[in-house]
Amino acid sequence: MRPAFLTVFLKEMRDGLRDRRTALMVLVAAILTGPVTLVLVVHFVSGLEEKASVLHVRIHGAERAPAFVNFLERNDVKIDAAPDDYEERVRAGKLDAVIVVPEDFQERWLSGDGARMEVVYDDSRTDSGPATRQAERLLQAFNRETGMLRMIARGVSPDLANPVKVERVNTATPRQKGAFLLFLIPMFALLSPLLGGMTLAIDSTAGERERGSLEPLLGNPVALAQVVIGKWLAAWTFATMVAFLTLAGFATAATVYAEKKLAAVMAFGAPELLGFVAMVVPFAAMTSALQMLICTYGRSYREAQTYVSYLATAVSFVPVVVLFTGLKDERWQLAVPVLGQQAVLSRIVRGDPFGIVDWAIPSAAALAVAIACVALVARLLGEERIVFGRT
Amino acid sequence: MIVAEGLAKRFGDVDAVRDVSFAAPDGRITGLLGPNGAGKTTTLRIISTLVAPTRGRVAVDGLDNARDPLAVRARIGMLSDARGLYGRLTARENIAYYGALRGLDAAALEASIGRLADLLDMRSLLGRRAEGFSQGERAKVAIARALVHDPPNVILDEPTNGLDVMTTRSLREVIRRLRADGKCVLFSSHVMQEVSALCDEIVILARGAVVARGTAEELRAASGRADLEDAFVHLAGESLAP
Repeated sequence: MRPAFLTVFLKEMRDGLRDRRTALMVLVAAILTGPVTLVLVVHFVSGLEEKASVLHVRIHGAERAPAFVNFLERNDVKIDAAPDDYEERVRAGKLDAVIVVPEDFQERWLSGDGARMEVVYDDSRTDSGPATRQAERLLQAFNRETGMLRMIARGVSPDLANPVKVERVNTATPRQKGAFLLFLIPMFALLSPLLGGMTLAIDSTAGERERGSLEPLLGNPVALAQVVIGKWLAAWTFATMVAFLTLAGFATAATVYAEKKLAAVMAFGAPELLGFVAMVVPFAAMTSALQMLICTYGRSYREAQTYVSYLATAVSFVPVVVLFTGLKDERWQLAVPVLGQQAVLSRIVRGDPFGIVDWAIPSAAALAVAIACVALVARLLGEERIVFGRT
Repeated sequence: MIVAEGLAKRFGDVDAVRDVSFAAPDGRITGLLGPNGAGKTTTLRIISTLVAPTRGRVAVDGLDNARDPLAVRARIGMLSDARGLYGRLTARENIAYYGALRGLDAAALEASIGRLADLLDMRSLLGRRAEGFSQGERAKVAIARALVHDPPNVILDEPTNGLDVMTTRSLREVIRRLRADGKCVLFSSHVMQEVSALCDEIVILARGAVVARGTAEELRAASGRADLEDAFVHLAGESLAP
């Protein structure tokens, strides 16, 4: 004989799969969420790179400094001529920074007699900062080059003027920069099981009572635990299914869309997908059990829906809170549901190493919560006030 | 065979059932008759083990409700007050779900569904999804679902509620067939005619207690009224008086 929980599971699966809302959600999850989000993110990322890669500089009186112009051209910097009323424009915020070449520049420059250039900017406007620093950097580089050439011409080693060489080493790999933007994927990984298990969790608890099918169901010679486990397994399966489709959508879109730039910024291919799924499956067990528990308290389908949306909000807050409080990734967090998953998932997208313990601790915590919730639901369904309503 | 002894049930500070004792033997139709709020539904829920009594005990075919609820449920087919079906499942799937939960294998299930479909005249419903069913059609599926494991004890809570005349008549026929098969049939109603037309034995409930029981004949004699309805009003009303 087939065990009762399996009968319940198969019935809930069939019932759930015939639900139009489920079909719609699968469609949205699989086909839309991942690819659309990714396209938006990619546009954002490549937009940033575009801004940084082509340098523009505004110069007033460029014709008076041919050597500087030559230097800029050699360095692929685009020169825009600044209008004569540049001072007013800078003050009005229409121009960020302007390099001004004085009338006597060329004369002093050739004689090596303290040639001067001005950078005109407005310090009170923070968004002019990058352009100002860029102009300064270009001038310094030009200065250094000219100085070196002149020293070499006089037979002096240029190293004399630079006793200490400063080199910048940026530890953020391009991939890590991408992970900042792609904190979205862990977020989707945490929310998609909530979305996937929701309909079934509500339908099989508060919905079952509202429909008037709970009382006859409980009249069957089956232990409550079997009924609840069957329902939970079905909700878990749906949650996992939707989460998998969402993540697979991301992975597919990332592969198809993998231009050179994007590939450097982020990697979400098969190994990352596998890591995510390994994290999300036990997590989905917890979210569906939690959803069932709170829906058991719901007097009606609608009330249960409201409770479930509170849960989704609470879960979606966690990554945001982590982002804004700058919480450091530490071992104890792994044991805290949601926080632990969030920490490990971000590690995976960052391409940081993660081991079996990083999977085991959050997953064990999630499963423990799930089992506690299932036990509690089974107990609640044995109470008359829950089965027959509280009036 | 269902035996209830001294049942009482308290919800908060409301005594839903105060003192209910009766026996419903096999091969007989026993009717629980009483006005709304008399405690019929609560009594039936106690018998079907969904509600635990505050006092008293129930035995179904000699099995104690409190000690062996699952075995008791297996010997009962209950059409409860709540008759919700799963709208996205067909009538056949709705019935088969309960059959599987009661341990029927595929062959037994198929045979049972066929037998019930003929009994309830619902073959044409089997393949359709329940979401579009009329009240009468829903009631048929709910009854089939309750009887799918061919239980020796059948409990029907206000079975004719909301049914039209034709369906009510065919349901009466079904109940008589169950009696002919030697089953213990216990059903509740607040409709006098229905009870008098069908029942071998009537138990009258008022304010949570049994106020009279016996055949229609005996009740008429006990109340001194010629008409059963008068007898009912008289017997039920007596208990309401302080």
